[in-house]
Order: sequence, then C-alpha cells, then structure tokens
Amino acid sequence: MSILFQKRRKFYYALIIPALILYAGALLIPLFGGTIPYSFLNWNLMSGKKSMAGFENYVKLFSDEGFRISFLFNLKLGVFTIIGSNLVSFVLAYFLNKNIRAKGLSRALFFIPNIISAVLVAFIWTFIFSQILPNLAETMHWDWLGSISWFGSPGTATFTIILVSVWQQIGFLMMIYTAGLQTIPMDLIEAGKIDGCTGFRLIKDIQLPLLMPTITINLFVSISGAFKAFDVPNAMTAGGPYGTTTPVAMDIYKEAFVKYNMGYGAAKSVILFLVVAAVTLIQLNFTRKREVSY
Amino acid sequence: MGETKEKGNIAATLVMLVLGFIFVLPILLLVMNSFKPYSDMISNFLAFPKHFTLDNYKEAVARMDFVKVFLNSAYVTGGTVIVGLIVSFFAAYGIAHIESKDGPLWYMLFTLGQIVPFHTIMIALQVMTTKFHMNNKLTVLIGLYAGFHCAFGIFTYVGFLKSVPRDLEEAACIDGCGAFRTMMQIIFPLVKPTSITIGVLFFLWTWNDFLMPSLMIGETSKRTLTVMIYMFRSNASSDWNLLIAALTLSIIPIVILYILAQKYITSGITAGAVKM
Repeated sequence: MSILFQKRRKFYYALIIPALILYAGALLIPLFGGTIPYSFLNWNLMSGKKSMAGFENYVKLFSDEGFRISFLFNLKLGVFTIIGSNLVSFVLAYFLNKNIRAKGLSRALFFIPNIISAVLVAFIWTFIFSQILPNLAETMHWDWLGSISWFGSPGTATFTIILVSVWQQIGFLMMIYTAGLQTIPMDLIEAGKIDGCTGFRLIKDIQLPLLMPTITINLFVSISGAFKAFDVPNAMTAGGPYGTTTPVAMDIYKEAFVKYNMGYGAAKSVILFLVVAAVTLIQLNFTRKREVSY
Repeated sequence: MGETKEKGNIAATLVMLVLGFIFVLPILLLVMNSFKPYSDMISNFLAFPKHFTLDNYKEAVARMDFVKVFLNSAYVTGGTVIVGLIVSFFAAYGIAHIESKDGPLWYMLFTLGQIVPFHTIMIALQVMTTKFHMNNKLTVLIGLYAGFHCAFGIFTYVGFLKSVPRDLEEAACIDGCGAFRTMMQIIFPLVKPTSITIGVLFFLWTWNDFLMPSLMIGETSKRTLTVMIYMFRSNASSDWNLLIAALTLSIIPIVILYILAQKYITSGITAGAVKM
C-alpha cells in the first residue's frame, strides 16, 4: 500500500459519492426497490388495488399468449437482425480493409445511420415504404411493388422492421470488424499465402479464427441490442398488425402504461433482465472458448 | 503489375462509394424532398426539386415550436455530457486509486449497471418520479441520464487510468501539489481523448433517446426533439412535408458532430468495445 493512498484514502472514497448517488437514484433503487418488489404485487394503477401476490405474476406469465407472441417475435427479430447485420458488416469491413481510396468517406456513409436516433430512422423508412415506393410503383407501372402492403401483414411488417434494424446496426458492427481485422498481423497472412492458403480459405481458416474476440464483442452487442428493441417497432408499426410485431420491451410498456398493471409489468421486466443476462453470459462463454491465441 | 493494382484499387473504391451512396439514399432522398413544395413531393419523390423552397422548414419550425424543443434537447444533452463526465471521472479516479480489497468491488458494482436494460427499470422510474413530483423537470432528466450512463463512463475511465504511471502523481505530491489539483491539472488533461470519446457517446445516447423523456415529460413545452417528432407524427401523420423538414433539422446536429469528432467516435467506439 503506497504512502500516497494512506494519506489520501478519504479523498479517493469521497470521489465515488456523486456518481454513487446518481447511480443509486437512476438504477440501483429503481431496480432493487422498484422493479423487483413490484413484481410480487398485484397492483393496478387504475383500480388502485395493491396486494401481495407472491409468485402469482410469474406463474401467470407462462400461460400469457401475448407475452409468448412478443417473446417469439423478439427472438425472430434478434436472430435475423444478428445474422443479417453481422454478415453484411463483415463483408463491408473486409473490403474496406483492402487497399482502396476514400476509406474515410465510405466508412462515414455506412456509419451515419447508426448515429441517428432510432425513432427518426424509423420515420425515414416509413416515408420510403409508405410514400416513395408506392409512388415509384405507380410511375414505373410495377404493379407487384404497388400491391405490397409493407405494414399490413405480420410477415411484411416483420420484414420491414428487420430490414431497418439491420440497416441501422451495420455501421457500428462494421467499425468493430474493421478494427479487429487491423489487429491481425500481416506476417500471419503472408505465411498462410506462402503455404498455399488463398481466397476464401484464407478468410475461413486464418482470418476468422483470429477474429474470434471481435466476433464475441459483436455478437454480445447485437444480442443484447435485440432484446432492447423498442424504438423502431414502436415508431414503424406500433406493434401491429394485431400485436404481431410487439417486442418484449414494448409488451412491458403496454402492460404498465396502457393497461396500468404495474405489478405484472414489473414481473415481465424481471424476466427480460434475466433473459438478457443469461443470453449474454452463455454467449460470452461460448465464443471465448473458440478464441485462438498466437 | 503496379498498374493493374492501381486500376483494381480505383474500381474497388468506386464500388464501395456507390454502395455507400445507395446505403444512405433514404437519408439523401429525405433531405432532397424537404426542399420541395408539397405538390411536387406527391407527384414525384425521386426528382430533384424544381421549385426550391424553404416553406416546409418555416412551417415546421413554427408549428412544432422547434426552437424551444431544440433548446430543451440541447440543455438535457449538454447537462448530461458535463455532469456524466465529471461524476464518471471522479469515481473512476477514486476507484483506480483505492488499493484495498474493496476497490474491485466498487468497480464491479458500477460495471454491472451496463447489463441492465433501461426497459427493466422504466416502470419503477416512472412510479418513483411521479410519487416525488420529479417528472416534467429537465434537470431531473439530466441526473437520471448521468446516473444511468456513468456505469459505462466509469468502466471506460478506469481502464485508461490504470495505464497512467503513478510516478507522475508521486512527483506532483513531492512538489507540493494537492490531491484535487493533481487530479484536475495533471491527470485529467492526460485522459482527454477518453473524455472526448465518452462525451460523444453520452451526447449520442441522450440526444437520440426517446423512451426516457417520453415517460418523464408530459408538458408540451418541455418536450425533447425525438418526443416532439414522435408526437407530431402521431397527431398529423399526413403532413409528410413538415415531418421530413423537421427530421432533416434534427439530423443536422448529429452529422455535424460526426464530422467534427469522427476520429474520436470511431476510435472510441472500437476501443471501448474491444476492451470489453
């Protein structure tokens, strides 16, 4: 223990206090003093009834059709978004890492959608789907395009939401893949080439295994991001048609702020938290095992 | 040999640039159409503006009380960046210097906050702020954002502070420099790139956020930009010409920030993520 620490111990501890107060107020108290205790209450804000429910809310969740639908939708959205955005962003990063010019501009073009608010992104695409595409179909006499109702059926609405989510996330994932590709030592790639490893095999057998830490990060980011989906579906479809595009976060929102079932909504929140934590931990464990060192 | 490589580069460059422009085409179309009169928009979305006009902007700014809303967003975002950076840096500096066993414990406590999705605490936050009459206050919003985001700030600052050599502080101490002055005048300038990175991310997260202000702010005069645009779309869904003018105006600060801080955004995002 250094003399400096012994002398300034109080000062160092005091420095934590402001952050601790704000952190407690914004996160610790709402989580442990709000969400978790509320989830054991039978509490409706409209009727004003509030009583102990024990695990009743959690039991009810298993037979809740709406929650099941939103959970499955969230899963579908997550899987397709993760696959789509990671594939495209890796390919882009791969080519942007090659010897090309105007890298900064190209990267900026792909990255800008990522820094715009998801609500605005959703409206930009609503504008494309509801105004520009029908107009284009009419002028070009493309009846097939004009007949598609982008938000009208569960299938097309899910597709548009996935497309927009992928579009927004590509830039971020691309940046991380680019950084990862740059950490691979050139001599390893040269050595591979000398041994006759080229083209696709070079990517598969040398670059991808070495990129495992980067892939871990990107899967981590996109999986936890998928379960936090709210803004894009909310602004584009508001959960419709017939609640088929309602992610879990929006289901919680509706339970609490439309139906005023605070206790039941809190129970759903706890489940969301546990799912996000579990998925993240499993995934981190899984990909960390496949990382190679050199 | 050299010549073909050069040509290949140019072709690849062109392909990437064209793909990039197609990728951002939705945004470009939006900006282009915002300068057209409503009738031109309806007749052909894809054509360049024939009658260039700023009427959409004028009407949008007037009907949406845009200046007021913009200032609200700027106040909340600016406040969050400043308060968030200060409390994060202070706490991270303290944690990085605590040499006893509880240093890592404090670090864990704050780091774990990063895996808590906002949606799991939104019900509790709404109930609590209403109970204590803290809703409809932009300053409360700043405190909540700073508290929520400091988990990331502390995590990132601690990572960088560990690489700062201690000799520097010991030398400053021998020269008679006090604890607070050492922190602010010697160490804080050293971590400036980290501060800019965290600050830029705080800016983006706050400026772009929709859910928190939509839950906390009910009064029309205190709305933030994203909430106002969302409400306008819900109430006047057919006024696309006004909406796209407002969307363009809201995107501009973000694009300017990106141009100014591009280096820090990209290096910061990657460094932050790679360290995780």
